[in-house]
Amino acid sequence: MSDIRPFCMPKWGIEMTEGTIAEWMVSEGQAFTRGQTLCLIETAKITNEVEAEYDAVVRKVLVGAGDEAQPVGTLLAVFADPAASEAEIEAFVAGFRPADTAVAAKQTEPENAPAPAAATPRKIVTNRPISAQALALAEAEGLDLAEVAGSGRQGRITHQDVQQALRPAARPALRGPAKIAAELETIFASPLARRIAALHGIDLAPIEGTGPRGRISKADVLSRLLAPAPAGTQPFVAGENRAEILSFDRIRKVVARRLTEAKQTIPHFYLRTSASADALMELRKTANLVLGCKASLNDYLIKATALALVRHPDVNVQVHGEELHRFPRADIAVAIASPKGLVTPVVRSADGMRIDQLAAETRRLIDKAQAGRLGFEDMEGGTFSVSNLGMFGIENFDAIINPPQGAILAIGAANRTACERGDGSIGFETRIGLTLSVDHRAIDGATGAEFLATLKNLIEAPEQLFA
Amino acid sequence: MAQMMYRDAVLSTIAEEMERDANVVVLGEDVVGGMGTAGGPEAIGGIWSTSTGLFGKFGADRVIDTPISESAIMGAAAGLALAGKRPVAELMFADFIGVSLDQIWNQMAKFRYMFGGKTKCPAVIRMAYGAGYNAAAQHSQSVHQILTGMPGLKVVMPSTPADVKGLLRTAIRDDDPVIFLEHKALYGTSGEVSDDPDFTIPFGHARLARAGEDVTIISTGLLLGFCVAVADKLAAEGIGCDVIDLRTTSPLDEEAILDSVEVTGRLVVVDEAPPRCGLAVDICALVARQAFASLKAPPQMVTPPHTPIPFARELESAYLPSTDKIEAAVRAVLAWR
Amino acid sequence: MQLSREALLRAYRQMKIIREFEERLHVEIQTGEIAGFTHLYCGQEAVAVGVCEHLSVEDKIVSTHRGHGHCLAKGCDVNGMMAEIWGSREGLCKGKGGSMHIADVELGMLGANGIVGAGSPIAVGAALAAKLDGRGPNGFRVAITFSGDGACNQGTTFEAMNLAVVTKAPCIFLFENNHYSEHTGFEYAVGTQRDIASRAEAFGMKVWRGDGTDFFSVHDTMREVLDYVRAGNGPAAVEFDTERFFGHFEGDPQRYRGPGELDRIRATRDCLKNFRTSVTGASLLSHADLDAVDVDALEAIENAVVAARAAARPTAEDVLADVYISY
Repeated sequence: MSDIRPFCMPKWGIEMTEGTIAEWMVSEGQAFTRGQTLCLIETAKITNEVEAEYDAVVRKVLVGAGDEAQPVGTLLAVFADPAASEAEIEAFVAGFRPADTAVAAKQTEPENAPAPAAATPRKIVTNRPISAQALALAEAEGLDLAEVAGSGRQGRITHQDVQQALRPAARPALRGPAKIAAELETIFASPLARRIAALHGIDLAPIEGTGPRGRISKADVLSRLLAPAPAGTQPFVAGENRAEILSFDRIRKVVARRLTEAKQTIPHFYLRTSASADALMELRKTANLVLGCKASLNDYLIKATALALVRHPDVNVQVHGEELHRFPRADIAVAIASPKGLVTPVVRSADGMRIDQLAAETRRLIDKAQAGRLGFEDMEGGTFSVSNLGMFGIENFDAIINPPQGAILAIGAANRTACERGDGSIGFETRIGLTLSVDHRAIDGATGAEFLATLKNLIEAPEQLFA
Repeated sequence: MAQMMYRDAVLSTIAEEMERDANVVVLGEDVVGGMGTAGGPEAIGGIWSTSTGLFGKFGADRVIDTPISESAIMGAAAGLALAGKRPVAELMFADFIGVSLDQIWNQMAKFRYMFGGKTKCPAVIRMAYGAGYNAAAQHSQSVHQILTGMPGLKVVMPSTPADVKGLLRTAIRDDDPVIFLEHKALYGTSGEVSDDPDFTIPFGHARLARAGEDVTIISTGLLLGFCVAVADKLAAEGIGCDVIDLRTTSPLDEEAILDSVEVTGRLVVVDEAPPRCGLAVDICALVARQAFASLKAPPQMVTPPHTPIPFARELESAYLPSTDKIEAAVRAVLAWR
Repeated sequence: MQLSREALLRAYRQMKIIREFEERLHVEIQTGEIAGFTHLYCGQEAVAVGVCEHLSVEDKIVSTHRGHGHCLAKGCDVNGMMAEIWGSREGLCKGKGGSMHIADVELGMLGANGIVGAGSPIAVGAALAAKLDGRGPNGFRVAITFSGDGACNQGTTFEAMNLAVVTKAPCIFLFENNHYSEHTGFEYAVGTQRDIASRAEAFGMKVWRGDGTDFFSVHDTMREVLDYVRAGNGPAAVEFDTERFFGHFEGDPQRYRGPGELDRIRATRDCLKNFRTSVTGASLLSHADLDAVDVDALEAIENAVVAARAAARPTAEDVLADVYISY
């Protein structure tokens, strides 16, 4: 008996409910080997490669690249060895039931049922009144007329009815209700005139209407707008400032939800300090030469942060309900701006990495982020987050904690400032602003302050980073 | 702002305009009541109480009770208008245009045009229309769909007391023949009215009763209350509806309708008249022709079926548009795939 | 009562103008130049003129589809009327109404009417307006509705009569019984089979009857009627017996006429011939006086036709004009 195996939408992480096939690397009829990349699947958070776990032939592809999102567990393709007959494959597809309850639930709601990906034309014999075009379409698409209510006279099925039945359920983007004035309208203007007046803050009351039926017309409003100014001043006519409407994409929706939750539920407090960075910058030059690496200043700061966390494990925590998970190693999530938006891949056990190893790891993660190829395993976990906006000249800022972590460090730009030297004279040094956002449920002020003090010390006496 | 009943808005506006202009004359069946009886005049003051006290104030020459002879009443209104008066004639039930249509349709609507623009016919014909009181097939009809299609007439359908005052004043002062349709189920409703004694609302200017960007609902007369209730219910679900009360069907505020559909892309038209060749299809066609590119779904119509109006309570309910049917239509237009 | 020489000449001229106007149209229509339906008044001139000679501009009349005579008698401009029938922009109604809808409201002519019987309720309305305006130095102004033996069967006629009676409106129901309602004879169509006036009587009106082929019968009768109505006695009805020399409409084959009927009525029931006979017989006017009017009238009509042919045609934009005063 031939081995027929289903390839279903995987579940990556607890939160994932659906995914999209971004790209197929193999096609129907193609043989593949274990370890070969089969396809790219995109979720709300990431895009991931799926590798084959065995050798087989792609016998049927049911969901194409760019097709709409499928729930976890949906049958995406059927793999088998060449010996399996077409009939067996068809039977397998017909008999397949997804294990995942989310998919099962979806499939019992008729209005959410997606159209079959590959329609099999079949002849329809029916006594129901139906237009020729409707019948042709239903036959071509293999649609069961039992699913179609006829909207024509005495239930006649129209082309439109069939076309509607073939389409997936509507998910309109709603913009909701708006406010209107409660008082009786006493000034009569055309809708366009009202819009223009509102746009430019023009009061309609003094305007005399010359439009049809005595309404205030667009011309009446515009003449107000372009009323002659005192000699010498050219009036500025603001054009229409029409908003371009951009719906949140998947990633932004998730980011929005999570950060809103974080800001609303976590009692944030902020500890601010700054560190003198000259020593660190000097050390970096030397160490990079010696190690033959190109570690950035930020890499050094991450290393310093990791060491500080290990010394202050009460800050290296995750909050889960009323539990604190305190970690022995520092897994630092580094905030990176990618084409897909803000992502936070994790540098694991950063405390144990040598600076060149840490630099290589951050480089790898940055490259992956820029390519939109961060995997789920890159993003999972994290005991602490670091965000650096110094390259934009930001002196300091207050970051929002990424739950379930207990804290996040915001690093600002390295600026030259005046300082008092030991001998009382004025000199200059480079300082970096550091703001620690702390979850007061888990970490107290003193704890956070001690951590920050250690971090500052590690930065200002950076030889400790190589201890 | 004062509160006033719809019927009192009618009465007070007529009285104010009769005071202002001696040429305004009222005529109709039982506008006074009691003529030629032992009980004497003003036995009723109009069966809808819309002419109470006028006889006492302005006398028999200006407040004329007529025998039951609708053609004569409508024709007399036409003749009074041609002879320089401003008649406000009442047709007790809009259904009675059946027995008097020639004077409205072939006579007063066409005088100005046929006579080369050299005359005017400033008549106002008030009619009580609409269902909801189980008055059955011959006393419950809507007629705006018939009259709107007649060039030369203006057709007005106020939904609120404020609209009555503003629009009836405009109608009486208008020099063209105006059909003023009062929904009988609105007579007892109350609303805020303007304190301005000269408050007028221009014809062809619809009112936006609710605002939203997802669906456009078009309404007239009694149906406004249902449409607003549906819009408010759906607002709680995040669905925004523009509810447009047309107020006049001739002239029609096309701009308001089209501008709204250009934003929402979804149209629901609610009408109390039967579906064939009516106002609902007129508006759907307007939108399909001039806002086709904006439509996200085919327009929905909520109208009674192609039947006369039945008598029994549950039958009349089943016949008429309702909040449930309007809500279903809004959801249907949103569910378009 | 004796009419002055001027009044007699004027009356004759009015009737002659109507006669020549209609006779000329009868000829011109056959060329195909005139559009639509035309209904000619030849034979009934004495009624229109006998009535309208009593009226001022402020008295109103409403007419029928056979309205040219009433229009001319009320003082409407001959050229304007001819141009209107020709469909010209310079017509009385700018080419928008045509023969059946000719009007000049400022002269008190509230329109010929294409709907049989429609005029009567309108006249009652005009009479109510007159009543509202009050009694002038000559009493109330009146409104007169011209109807025929056809309209006398319409519901609107009865409703209007009743309304006029109960409101005591100064309205006169003027029935011209020319014995034919379209193609059907009076004796068949009018159930009372006696006359029309009795119907008005039954509705509570005072009625008069007269010979519509005799100008003096009409004129004298109307003096009494108008005195009665102007005094505020309420409405009145008058029935004049008359003939129409042409068909119901131009193009009517008139198969309902008896043999030799048209010749007979032209010979014996022609109000113009009767007038000539009366006035010359009583030496009030000479044949020469009347002949001069004949020539004058003919010339006036000829000029009107020439002018109508040359008058400006309406343009496409005119279709849209004057539906409303403002919209």
